[in-house]
Amino acid sequence: MEVRGLQVGLKTGEPADLLRSINLTLGRGQVLGIVGESGSGKSLTCRAILGLLNTRSMRVSGSVQLNGQELMLLPEKNLRKIRGKEIGSIMQNPMNAFTPVHTIGSQFVETLRTHSQLSKGQAWQQAVHSLESVNLMEPDKILKRYPHQLSGGMLQRVMIAICLCLRPGLVIADEPTTALDAVNQLQVLRELERLKMECGTSILIVSHDLGVIAQMADEVAVMRKGEIVEHAGVHELFDAPRHAYTRMLLEARPRLGKEAKNAEGSKRQLSL
Amino acid sequence: MLKVQNVSYRYDSWNWWRPRSEESSVLRDVSLDLEGGCCLGLLGTSGAGKSTLGKVVLGLQRPNKGQILFEGQDLYASGGQLRQRIRREIQVVFQDCYSSVNPLMTAAQIIGEPLRNYERLSAGELRRCTGALLEKVGLSAGDGSKTPDEFSGGQLQRINIARAIALRPKLIVLDEPVSSLDRVHQSLILELLADLKSSLGVSYLFITHDIQAAMALCDRVAVMDRGEIVQMTDKPLSLWESESPTVRSLTEAVLPEHPSLRRSLS
Repeated sequence: MEVRGLQVGLKTGEPADLLRSINLTLGRGQVLGIVGESGSGKSLTCRAILGLLNTRSMRVSGSVQLNGQELMLLPEKNLRKIRGKEIGSIMQNPMNAFTPVHTIGSQFVETLRTHSQLSKGQAWQQAVHSLESVNLMEPDKILKRYPHQLSGGMLQRVMIAICLCLRPGLVIADEPTTALDAVNQLQVLRELERLKMECGTSILIVSHDLGVIAQMADEVAVMRKGEIVEHAGVHELFDAPRHAYTRMLLEARPRLGKEAKNAEGSKRQLSL
Repeated sequence: MLKVQNVSYRYDSWNWWRPRSEESSVLRDVSLDLEGGCCLGLLGTSGAGKSTLGKVVLGLQRPNKGQILFEGQDLYASGGQLRQRIRREIQVVFQDCYSSVNPLMTAAQIIGEPLRNYERLSAGELRRCTGALLEKVGLSAGDGSKTPDEFSGGQLQRINIARAIALRPKLIVLDEPVSSLDRVHQSLILELLADLKSSLGVSYLFITHDIQAAMALCDRVAVMDRGEIVQMTDKPLSLWESESPTVRSLTEAVLPEHPSLRRSLS
């Protein structure tokens, strides 16, 4: 995937007041992390890449290429075929990603059948297999349940199971673990890692947690106020952060007593 | 100061055709002690019953069994005026900062509400009080005229904290106060909470699933699993070496601070 000069602005405002010339490159089987504080445009970048922004109120320009194919020029009909099949997405809030009025199974089967020529029975079988592979117990029961009957961590794993089935070349994970507790977070990261190893999928992972980035990413882009302020390999970034904001992110972890007092001075200087 | 004695709680309703089941118990015989000026951490995965215990302590959910003693008085047995007085001493900060404020009120009105309910202040005094509270939590007195939609999540959480300390309570229940914030704001809010604890002498019941946050703020930590307290320690740092499987699963889920410490995930 290659993103060149992506710009987003409100129609009523400046042409590039939300995102300013974003450039990203992501090779096969690589993991690119995007970090930044809330409101820095991380999620907006993801949605712009997926073509999910409302073009009536937003002005989007630039180019997004996937395997040499320009996505910005494709009509909505073709884009729909690409979303899910070639670009999988995992959203922050799994509760909103499922319809509450249909069972998990019917939504799972529907997604599989729109992207392949499976019969309902075959699709169900495949769903059962992929739920097993993400370590969910009793997949048949889970498929018959409604989204509100599952916990956040389970739903997030169901989302990943759908991704696993379709074997997309690129997965966009927008804060996949923010809504989860630490134990579930590790589970979800484990599944993403497996997706990468088994299918050679590239992953674009957005997070404000540097722990997730340290664990997963090969390269990191740091965003602030709609711009990429630093772009480096993960080791390089953690060893020698160049931008002041990156240093602040690195220092922002819960501290114990004495350590906190030493750090206070440096934090005041940077002042959010 | 606060004593939780053998509290049990279950969420299900039962009647003659739907008998009671033991499985739906959220709290089973939980007992706790909290002294003044101390921060007790409640640590556990989601579904462990941490928040339910918090609500029981706040007086929002009557436990099926056991009692809550606040300064020697039973919270659920006391009625009327006494209850109202105890309520004043126990305040709360929730995880979801947006839904715990009224979007139509200004910050000054939000912070001033408990003061209006409990104390007879003139308009000028009220304005001075809310201004001082805003400054105490790291905002400026001029922010009082803004509405919640003009604040970021971190700032709004500061307003929630200001409202909680307005009446100078003895106990604040913090129900995942930093979980929805990004790391930078998380550590800033934790520092603010630590400062307030030492300057006001207030006690915290700090509910969290983040073991690092618990270690940074708490004097004592209770680890919960499926409605029971499995471990209680005065030295939070000793949890790193704990043998208990619940604690182990929490400490092992901590992500590395540097890519060279990366864990294998297979």
